[in-house]
Amino acid sequence: MSVPYLREAAAHDDLDKLVRFVRLHLGDGNEAVGQDEIDRSWAQATKILLRYEPVDREFISSVLEKEESTLALLFYHLHFYLIRKSGRWIHDGSR
Amino acid sequence: MTAADKTPVPAAEPREAGTQLRPGLWQTINERYPGSMIRKESFVSQASLSKPLAEARLTLISSCGVHCKTDPPLDVCHPFGDFRFKRVPSSSKQRELIIHQLKYPHDDADLDLNVIFPIERLQELHLERRIGSLTPNFFSFIGYNMDPERFERTVAADIADAVVQQEHADCALLAPA
Repeated sequence: MSVPYLREAAAHDDLDKLVRFVRLHLGDGNEAVGQDEIDRSWAQATKILLRYEPVDREFISSVLEKEESTLALLFYHLHFYLIRKSGRWIHDGSR
Repeated sequence: MTAADKTPVPAAEPREAGTQLRPGLWQTINERYPGSMIRKESFVSQASLSKPLAEARLTLISSCGVHCKTDPPLDVCHPFGDFRFKRVPSSSKQRELIIHQLKYPHDDADLDLNVIFPIERLQELHLERRIGSLTPNFFSFIGYNMDPERFERTVAADIADAVVQQEHADCALLAPA
């Protein structure tokens, strides 16, 4: 899906089109896989937090003061980080 | 074969009228990924080589996302793509380079980078004097991109400028990944 197509979808708050794009992107062109990948990244974050390890809340606060675009891109990076941590990596053939 | 493959394709569409893509591909992609196929009305004609290859300076441009291990990687997580490129010294060896990509399996290319970025083959062809010279740097970028117009204005234009003005190439080998 092209950026002009997504801009139009964003302008009309067309959630279906935007979510479909996200799933296709995260699932390497497979919407069902993308949906599963999203579920897995959230499950992985939850599994990590179940360890009750110390967390750096000051760092989180400082990160959240960054501009929105940086944070939005960080969200995508965190998704892929968590997917890799989950042990099921389908994207580039690497382990 | 899908129903879209059987649909007659208007001859006005240059990509469909030619032999580059299989018949009906335009429709099937647009059905699956709406808005993903961008129509382009203007085309730059391919330039002719002004001198024999054995006298020409050649550069390599690839969408494989290869870069030097000493360089930070391009951004493979951005949903619309990374609008930057990497210079790869043409004297590099495979052990000095790494593939950083999310959108295609590169197990085989990790074993032999030359299948997607034939840098060592070009070095050999230069040593055999089949190619006059290689530009000091080759070029690599992330092929995944959702904004072709921005890509053309940024990555494509910047690489074209560098190829002509900094590397003084006579010809370029384009290697998609």
